Amino acid sequence: MTDADGRGHNAPCSNKDFDFFYRGLEAEQVLIQKCSSCSFLRNPPSPSCPECHSLEWQTLPLGGEGTVHSFTIHHYPPLPDFKTPHPVVLADMAEGIRLLGAMDGTAPEDIRIGMPVRFEFLRRGNVAAFRFRAA
Amino acid sequence: MADFRNKTAIAGYGATEFSKNSGRSELRLAVEATLTALEDAGIDAADVDGMSSYTMDNNNEQEIFRAIGGKDLKFFGRTGGGGGGACAPLLQAALAISAGVANVVVCYRAMNERSEYRFGAPLQMMAPTSENVLFAYSGAQGLYTPAATIGLAMRRYMHETGATSEDFANYSITARRHAATNPKAFFYAKPISRDDYFNSRMIADPFRLLDCCQESDGGVAIVVTSAERAKSLRQKPVLIRGAAQGSPRGTFGMGHFYRADIAPRDECAAAARQIYETAGLGPNDIQVAILYDHFGPTVLPSLEAYGFCADGEAKDFIKDGNIEVGGTLPVNTHGGQIGEAYIHGMNGIAEAVRQLRGTAVNQVVGVHNVLVSAGSAVPTSAAILGVD
Repeated sequence: MTDADGRGHNAPCSNKDFDFFYRGLEAEQVLIQKCSSCSFLRNPPSPSCPECHSLEWQTLPLGGEGTVHSFTIHHYPPLPDFKTPHPVVLADMAEGIRLLGAMDGTAPEDIRIGMPVRFEFLRRGNVAAFRFRAA
Repeated sequence: MADFRNKTAIAGYGATEFSKNSGRSELRLAVEATLTALEDAGIDAADVDGMSSYTMDNNNEQEIFRAIGGKDLKFFGRTGGGGGGACAPLLQAALAISAGVANVVVCYRAMNERSEYRFGAPLQMMAPTSENVLFAYSGAQGLYTPAATIGLAMRRYMHETGATSEDFANYSITARRHAATNPKAFFYAKPISRDDYFNSRMIADPFRLLDCCQESDGGVAIVVTSAERAKSLRQKPVLIRGAAQGSPRGTFGMGHFYRADIAPRDECAAAARQIYETAGLGPNDIQVAILYDHFGPTVLPSLEAYGFCADGEAKDFIKDGNIEVGGTLPVNTHGGQIGEAYIHGMNGIAEAVRQLRGTAVNQVVGVHNVLVSAGSAVPTSAAILGVD
């Protein structure tokens, strides 16, 4: 898919709640939502603050530092844009929020719960993306 | 507090054979299972006025109703998802019947999940619904499949409890041992060894092939009516003592990665609180448990969530033989979805009925109450069934 409809990104399945996230990746940023009313951070994207119900929010770019909370190594079936086996990690980010990210490019046997990671940017086909690597 | 305890009963059940290629349409599987269940109950198809399944089932209620010669369908509701919904049609049936909306409700699940389409395939281009954009958000990171999603949660569970692949092997070996003596099971007469388990290939670490449920073709139907009416029917009534759904804060359609504890327990614990309260029972009152095993290792946190052992102790509970036939809490006596078939948990309800009637192939002695669970790490459901 190309950005024929002016969304500012090429992610294949997004809507008006998620578009900011993929636009952020085009600018080499991982963005989360910060409530404009009570400053509660939330991820993945959602239209309202679960704490105060405000519909107003700003984006907050994550700094990139985190530690691995858990992970899996996907072996089967084959996936588009990934060479199997490939790791996926769930990281506790320094900002106090979780972030799911690919960790292909790192050997599966090198991944441990608790290891420090940071994210880097790349493109998968024509879609802007990020992934983790060892910090 | 819910007040439908023991007001409704399972009067009959029916199932097709379980295979990898049924050779007929899903609708025909649903119809065969429904007719068999009605025959088992001794209820005329003309008396059916309610139907319930999961949103993932492909069989239209009206088409089943047309095929069985139904007259007046008054209640037809679906519960969200697939395996997490396993016991939710029982809840719908119990509510509809105890409220006087319907008299006879058929709960069904029928699919050619192996021969016509397969779950767990990578995400395709989809409409940007609220559920699909979330799947796509994870899919963009290479997390596409139920095995990888739940595997990631189970990796954390291993970290926190010290459970290992040896403990996962203990479950799979037990399930396949139970299946090996169940002639209806796809893996009848095919037990596995510990070597078989460790030689099976990785699907999504920490899950090996032999941790994964089967892909199956087949159909199961359950007929629910009032406990009063069930008394005068063909079979011993299996009472619905309690049934509930569970989807606590932080639960997604699949996964729950953004709350403090990502071990797949909280959905089951939410259902557990309600079914025990509705039934007026506790874990010690349960003689057999049918615990959903889309991935066998999740039986460990399910044992903990349903209160059969403390958090972190399931690995020892299984190792000590408690879940085997002859143990203190036989689990998945039909072989589970690993050993018998994967009919999204509806086949587990059928096994609960057999245990309570005393007609199971791996029959446990003195069964009065059976707990049945549904998928973990997804919005879930559960029920306690019993005989007086």
